[in-house]
Amino acid sequence: MMNIKNLTYFFREAYTSLSRNRLLSIATVTTMAICILILGAAVLMTINADKFMNRLESDLEIVAFLDSSLSKSQVTDIKGDIEKLSGVKSVIFVSREQALVNLQTKFADKNYDLVKTIGKNPLPDSYEVKAQNPQDVVNLAQQINKMPGIYKVNYGQGVVERLFQVTKWVRIISIGFIVLLTMGAVFLIATTIRLAIFARRKEIYLMKLIGATDWFIRWPFFIEGIMLGSMGSLISILLLSWGYGSLVSSLQTALFFIPLVYQQSLLINIYLSLFATGAILGVLGTYISLNRFLDV
Amino acid sequence: MLVQFYNVSKVYPNGVKALNDISLKVDRGEFIFLMGSSGAGKSTLVKMLFREEVPTRGQIFVASRSIVRMKRSEVPQLRRNMGIVFQDFKLLENKTIAENIAFAMKVVGSKSKDIRPRVTEVIQMVGLKGKENSFPGQLSGGEQQRVGIARAIVNRPLLLIADEPSGNLDMDTARDIMDLLYDINRKGTTVVMATHAWELVKNARKRVVTLEAGRILSDIYSPESL
Ligand SMILES: Nc1ncnc2c1ncn2[C@@H]1O[C@H](COP(=O)(O)OP(=O)(O)O)[C@@H](O)[C@H]1O
Ligand SMILES: [Mg+2]
Repeated sequence: MMNIKNLTYFFREAYTSLSRNRLLSIATVTTMAICILILGAAVLMTINADKFMNRLESDLEIVAFLDSSLSKSQVTDIKGDIEKLSGVKSVIFVSREQALVNLQTKFADKNYDLVKTIGKNPLPDSYEVKAQNPQDVVNLAQQINKMPGIYKVNYGQGVVERLFQVTKWVRIISIGFIVLLTMGAVFLIATTIRLAIFARRKEIYLMKLIGATDWFIRWPFFIEGIMLGSMGSLISILLLSWGYGSLVSSLQTALFFIPLVYQQSLLINIYLSLFATGAILGVLGTYISLNRFLDV
Repeated sequence: MLVQFYNVSKVYPNGVKALNDISLKVDRGEFIFLMGSSGAGKSTLVKMLFREEVPTRGQIFVASRSIVRMKRSEVPQLRRNMGIVFQDFKLLENKTIAENIAFAMKVVGSKSKDIRPRVTEVIQMVGLKGKENSFPGQLSGGEQQRVGIARAIVNRPLLLIADEPSGNLDMDTARDIMDLLYDINRKGTTVVMATHAWELVKNARKRVVTLEAGRILSDIYSPESL
């Protein structure tokens, strides 16, 4: 419904309106910037929480202890059997000697000799099994436990289930939060834009009675909405990237164990999406607010 | 027939019965007064012509097209055949006189090269030559209504609708505005004018439809006695 002939008219109208209602334009841009800033912060927090949870989950592994009576070939067969289970990522053999060394280093104090204290190595051979998908850990552990030659399976029983419960809810809640924020932003922005449109209701009414089509009336407002939305989101993106950038650089030295997301490509994608969101919110807010005035 | 009303009634959502069983025909080229005191239903009737309101019952045809069955997307085309003059002028304060008139051509998508000469022409027609670049606030009430009329005729409508066009003007200025409307009618435009001012109507030698409480009381040619 938009043709080139009217294009310059639409842009001129949008520009005139923006500069005429300067105060309302500033209010709209500010509202937009705050909304996108909060939204962006929520997205960054969610992504970081997700990365952190992924890290926790991928640390999960199954330790399958072997019966001490097994022969060498039986031990190898079990490895093959475990690898055949679907969803298994890696199977690593840890000999009882290696397990003892590992345990010994955990106690760190080199002068304390476990074997001397206990008299003999009490640890069995084991396999450390990682799942392709951490969600499969419990299921895999149960299958491995049923295999012959397995003495015991350890996967952090109880803790794992709770971890998944927690991460599931964190993900649901953060997505719900972002959806709510977006809806709130649409409402807030629609309200601000309604003020700007309200100031021009007489003109809209006049256009309708003269015989302007709805689209002819809408376009300048849409362009205005896109401009306000983009300006608002641009401001918030600048603030956000600056704030997050300093956060990453200060935390990486002080709290190196918190794995912040810092890949440029991912961040740029997030910022671009926020920019698009701003523009879309501008149009959406305009659309919602405008329709009521077009109903003449 | 340009306008046909068949048994039109209008009940507003709040329950007010504004029009009651109105049947009325307006021929091309006619000048017709809708007379009636405040609240008689004049504005309601007039708004149905350009489909700001739709009847609760009955049928309305404008240029043989049913207003009632008309789709929303067809309404702009209907309105482009009409010019509307308002009691409060409805001029855009931040546009000049010429811009206010050009506005009506722009919003229906006229080409810029057609707009300028036509605007000059209608400004001349309503007697406002020299005021092109003034703003509405700098003009008298009568002059502002001339701008309103110029804007209403700039797209060469079939039907000119005026709802109390002189309601905000003194009697002398009102008569000047009437002369302008008669002039436009003489050049072929059908005019429907709502008014409660009997002084303007009584010696006009035009058709007068009188409304009272939403009904047609009489349909005569003044200056016959009522
Ligand atoms: N939008 C509306 N909603 C409800 N009632 C209305 C509306 N417009 C007019 N009315 C009522 O309808 C009746 C006729 O009004 P109107 O057509 O404006 O009369 P007039 O123009 O002759 O003064 C009045 O009682 C008025 O209060
Ligand atoms: Mg009225």
